[in-house]
Amino acid sequence: MEQFIYYIRISLLSIKRAPLPYALTIFILSVGLGVFFANATFYYQLNSDPLPHKSDKLFFPMTLIVPHDCNDCLPPRILSYSNVQKLSSSDIPSAKAAMYSANGYARLHAEQPPVPVTLRITQRDFFSMFDVPLRHGSVWPDDNARDEVLLSRAMALKLFGRINVIGEQLLLDDRYFSVIGVLDHWQMLPRLYDANGRNHLSPGEDIFLPLETGYDLNYQSRTNSRTFDQTDYRKLSTEGRTGARHMLQYWVQLDTPAQQQAYRQFMLNLANAEKAAGRHPSPINNQLIAMADIVDYFGDDPGDIKAFALVTLLFLLVCLFNASHLSLNRYLSNQYEFSLRRALGASRSQLQQQMLADVLIMAAFTLVGALLTGYACIQLMNQLLPNNSLFSHWNLTLLLSLLTITFACSYLVTLYPSLRASFGNLNQQLKE
Amino acid sequence: MSFYLLCKVLFSRKVVTTLLLLQLAMALALLLNSILLAQQTQQQLTQPTGLDLEHTLQVQLKPATASLRVYPALQDLLDRQLQAVQAIPGVIAAAYANQSVLVQGGNGGNLYDIEQEERTNVPYVPLYFVSKDFFTVLNVNVLQGELPHYTTPFGDTAQPEVILTQSIAEQLFAGQPAVGREVNLGRVAAVISDFYGQRRSDNVMFNSLQVTPPYSVDWGYSILLRTEPAQTAAVRQQLANVLRAVEPNIELFHISNLAEQHQRVYSNEYGLAMLLAILTALMLLVTMISSYSSTHFHALKRQQEIGIKRALGATKITIALELLAENWLCTALGALFGLGLALFLNQALAQVISIPPLNWWLPLLTSAILLLCVTLATWYPASIATRVSPASATKAL
Repeated sequence: MEQFIYYIRISLLSIKRAPLPYALTIFILSVGLGVFFANATFYYQLNSDPLPHKSDKLFFPMTLIVPHDCNDCLPPRILSYSNVQKLSSSDIPSAKAAMYSANGYARLHAEQPPVPVTLRITQRDFFSMFDVPLRHGSVWPDDNARDEVLLSRAMALKLFGRINVIGEQLLLDDRYFSVIGVLDHWQMLPRLYDANGRNHLSPGEDIFLPLETGYDLNYQSRTNSRTFDQTDYRKLSTEGRTGARHMLQYWVQLDTPAQQQAYRQFMLNLANAEKAAGRHPSPINNQLIAMADIVDYFGDDPGDIKAFALVTLLFLLVCLFNASHLSLNRYLSNQYEFSLRRALGASRSQLQQQMLADVLIMAAFTLVGALLTGYACIQLMNQLLPNNSLFSHWNLTLLLSLLTITFACSYLVTLYPSLRASFGNLNQQLKE
Repeated sequence: MSFYLLCKVLFSRKVVTTLLLLQLAMALALLLNSILLAQQTQQQLTQPTGLDLEHTLQVQLKPATASLRVYPALQDLLDRQLQAVQAIPGVIAAAYANQSVLVQGGNGGNLYDIEQEERTNVPYVPLYFVSKDFFTVLNVNVLQGELPHYTTPFGDTAQPEVILTQSIAEQLFAGQPAVGREVNLGRVAAVISDFYGQRRSDNVMFNSLQVTPPYSVDWGYSILLRTEPAQTAAVRQQLANVLRAVEPNIELFHISNLAEQHQRVYSNEYGLAMLLAILTALMLLVTMISSYSSTHFHALKRQQEIGIKRALGATKITIALELLAENWLCTALGALFGLGLALFLNQALAQVISIPPLNWWLPLLTSAILLLCVTLATWYPASIATRVSPASATKAL
């Protein structure tokens, strides 16, 4: 330990002798690592798996059952009510839920100013499929229409000032609903159950409403919707249920490969039956996409973060080369001292231990600098690319990664100069 | 000053020179692609929109109760709101529309000449339901036909006539007169000059319009106003209060002028270009630090050599030029490698974002910027080196 403290003191003395080159090295490494780490944070969070234990068991079925000849012949990314009915007629999935999101206005009574809210209009299996935690109450007993809602914790607090509000009434648009459940803290990020059009980057909804009620009350989808026939989209409760009004996401849980294969076969049989009935003029194209692959399938991965990731990696490399360059100059300036130590009997391993003490000090300074730069860079990125701002938080894994990378970079930057100082020709070095 | 000797000096310190060359190459690659992206964003932001961006205001709003979102209550609300905003001093004209102009996406559908559906079908064209003063607000020119003089009431059995922008009319009717022809939305009444509608369209100038109230306001609607140039700010300030006074049960999403809206449509590209510009500035700073440090260190190491040169008659300018020339040579070599790297980076970026390919003059410009930065960075250490006295040569003896 004493020896280690001695090495640290020698390192600090060396820094004091030429503080500017050392400060520049730390500055450059901190900036490079900070910028890289800021972008790595977004990249990591955006590509993280919100349900690692079941993301390969949840599937989004899509089918090209549309009443016209296709152009690109890809199945629509959103489904019609009638297609969902057909796809959910199978008992193969362990769970299944159709859903869409809508806008609404909530308040406790008509005299209050309305609060804009987002709605997830869905079915009961949604909560078990996506591991939605309930703090109070329960979900609907079946998928029928009913004037009952579940609230997010934040919405319950906003409307009622408390979270145990089971049995309370709220006015959603022009209709009273009973609260039957309140969610616990829950933020699924990325929100992969609604990945179309980069919706997975946005926060979760405030109020959960039964799908049939949403259709009965003509709640329109707040995201992508398309009509492939003459269906009047304002008549969702009637024409919307039978026509080619597409606006639903639909998820099924298929736990085993056998279930997945069986459901694929079911979809094929369904498409063939529709074709035989003359309701399906396009070629058959069914897709069953796992939740883990849904963003890639839709091609909605944010390109800006990927592009910036490439550039920040390049920048980190430049900073590493630069810091190595500065470090080499610093070691060459101190070469005489190294050589003298070698001449007085210090072994190469002792010199390498000295180098490790240098690395530790450099890593400590760099880590602080990188955290500060990374924080500033994240704030800047949130300002300039606000769509990704939900993905800007650090966690333990990320911080430990930064620590490891910082230490590795500090070691790399110091490695070549110290080897050169330790292994060069002693006579030559003492003469220089 | 011999080129051969310069190269020899440079490559006598292989590791340092290699590190410097790599940095310079990467800095050039990043600089080049950042400029390309910034240039593209600039072009997008300055492309013609056919609109008076500064003096046209838009309000995006939605009735907050379901009863206000259905006719006839909705029609009454729209009329009252229009009347109120038209009364604001400085407003030249005001109109409502089911959606605003200059947006990412919105309401629309396919459009075709019913006589030639197969050949003319355009898969997506924005469809605007507007009040009759919409054209005055946007200040568009009528190129063919005549604009409808009245708003077709909601639910009227007569199908409203269609107004097309010039680009979509040409696409559908290939230069023939469009007025009087039938498209799937109805009879074409007029062709107006182009204006920027939605970014998601194949052509941002493709737009179709009908003078009729919005079919539905479940996604909100827009009120657009053209103002006297000197009154824009004052009108904007009053808008929220005026609209809330007409009906408090509304949600105002935003009030902005079209210039801000234009910026918002390209905010992602703008954000990325800004980030790359900042990163490029940092990269240049890092490269300058590296060049400075390298020159400073080697000038110190070569004090005796410089002293001897001075003793043998080399002037201060010759010494400074020699040090600068070493860096210029290094920069030129780095820029050469950088070109290859820039090409690679350009192709890699094109996989994930929209970025134009490299052109011939940008590498020259970026190399010049890099050269300037390196010269600035090495100027001070080079000038210090010139202060080495010829007497220091004697130390070598």
